[in-house]
Amino acid sequence: MKIERALPLLTVTLAIIIAWYLACVPMNAVLTTNKIVTAGGGWWNTLAFSWNEIRPVLPSPHQVVREIWNTVFAVEPWSNKSLLFHLWVTLSSTLVGFVMGGLLGILLAIGIVHVGSLEKSLMPWVIASQTIPILAIAPMLIVVLGKTGLPDIFTKATISAYLCFFPVTIGMVKGLRSPDVMQQDLMRTYNASASQTLWKLRLPASLPFLFASLKVSVAIALTGAIVAELPTGAVAGIGARLLNGSYYGQTLQIWAALFVAAFAAATLVWLLGGLERSSLKRMGAHS
Amino acid sequence: MSGAVILARELGLTFQTGDGAVEALSNINLDIREGEFVSLIGPSGCGKTTLLRAIANLETPSSGTLQVNGMSAEQARLARAYGYVFQAPALLPWRKVKDNVALPLEVMGLDDVAGRVARNLELVNLKGFEEKFPWQLSGGMQQRVSIARALAFDPKLLLMDEPFGALDEIVRDKLNQQLLELWDRTKKTIIFVTHSIPEAVFLSTEIVVMSPRPGRIIDVIESDLPQQRNLDIRETPAFLKIAHRVRAGLKAGHSYED
Repeated sequence: MKIERALPLLTVTLAIIIAWYLACVPMNAVLTTNKIVTAGGGWWNTLAFSWNEIRPVLPSPHQVVREIWNTVFAVEPWSNKSLLFHLWVTLSSTLVGFVMGGLLGILLAIGIVHVGSLEKSLMPWVIASQTIPILAIAPMLIVVLGKTGLPDIFTKATISAYLCFFPVTIGMVKGLRSPDVMQQDLMRTYNASASQTLWKLRLPASLPFLFASLKVSVAIALTGAIVAELPTGAVAGIGARLLNGSYYGQTLQIWAALFVAAFAAATLVWLLGGLERSSLKRMGAHS
Repeated sequence: MSGAVILARELGLTFQTGDGAVEALSNINLDIREGEFVSLIGPSGCGKTTLLRAIANLETPSSGTLQVNGMSAEQARLARAYGYVFQAPALLPWRKVKDNVALPLEVMGLDDVAGRVARNLELVNLKGFEEKFPWQLSGGMQQRVSIARALAFDPKLLLMDEPFGALDEIVRDKLNQQLLELWDRTKKTIIFVTHSIPEAVFLSTEIVVMSPRPGRIIDVIESDLPQQRNLDIRETPAFLKIAHRVRAGLKAGHSYED
């Protein structure tokens, strides 16, 4: 990355870190005031105690980094103390849900674009499905799906899919309709069938829209998988770590899990971005 | 030259729009014989593109009869009787030149794709550009690719809707010359929509002059220019005489406006 591009990002990152360190002082005051006074006060003691509480209200950045280091690199990756193990549990259902949701989203969009009545009959349901808070519907889905005897991963993946099909449907409806009238007329002059028009014109034209949607979806799918772990009382997964941390007031554990989840989501989006660039390049995109 | 490729009798086409019905075509009678190069010329809104689209079965006439190769326009489209060149190249940007030309062949399931693509790209002087993507070509080259694509499945009828309208005059002159050579080599029947008088006179064996509101034919001019033409012919008295008649027709069509 060139320095001109990195500089703005670094500046913002630095500003956030400084604000974070400063915020630790008032946030942890309830725990640290007495200790600071006992130790004799002064700004050095204030910072030393605010930034190094064992169970802080707001942990300082270096505490979070140390916690991530301890739970990612300093333990066996398959032990249940390892965040990597928990991340894998969440990530595997994220990916299954992402594939399910992506396929559902594409199929719905193909249906909506080809059958006029489907747009009128399905679209309101598609939109309504997203207005229900996932926290409300997740426990019910878990109960219902739990009865089917399917593996747990599918229950969690279903909730991911429920959340992440939506951007794909919306993006793909737009993408499949993106070929202009002239290109559609062209296929008509060839007496092309609907499926030939779909495969040779609509789907290739919709690819940029698909990738934009998938990048949104994959991040939502991860959120869905984490949310799905909360009401199940799951013992493993990022969601379980968050829940566990909040039960026992382990803020460090929560923050470490959050950062690892965010890093995983960013990595997934970045991977899709790479796939997007290479696919579109093969399809003649320039610049 | 024999057999009517296009036969229109009392053809009418009315569009229903937000502010009432628009009579795009009215009482069109037209015969086009095989092997002719026919230009439809007229100002904007005269229905020349609509007539071409009706022949291609992209619009449906409201009245009268229209036959293409002795069939209805729809049957002719289903039989893939014509190649259509649009105002813009309408190439698929994700396909290389050769794959764009191969598109109709894939849709129609024809064999010898590579051979047909090579032959037609050679016909429009684009040999060597097979592996380029559309954005790597100039506007004139892109439109030549779209002509090669229209010819790829060897239809006898070529419908062209102001194909060179967006190009500058120098490129347009060159492409007109090339189109005449192509017509001479392939013996296609060509119906060519334009609003340029020199283009129409230079290219055509027959010029159909149209006028707007309602869209109708006001003159059909048989050209007596020789089949073999080059651009210098535009300076000859015979050429200017035909051009004058076209201009007079266009003027007459406008006379009861303004």
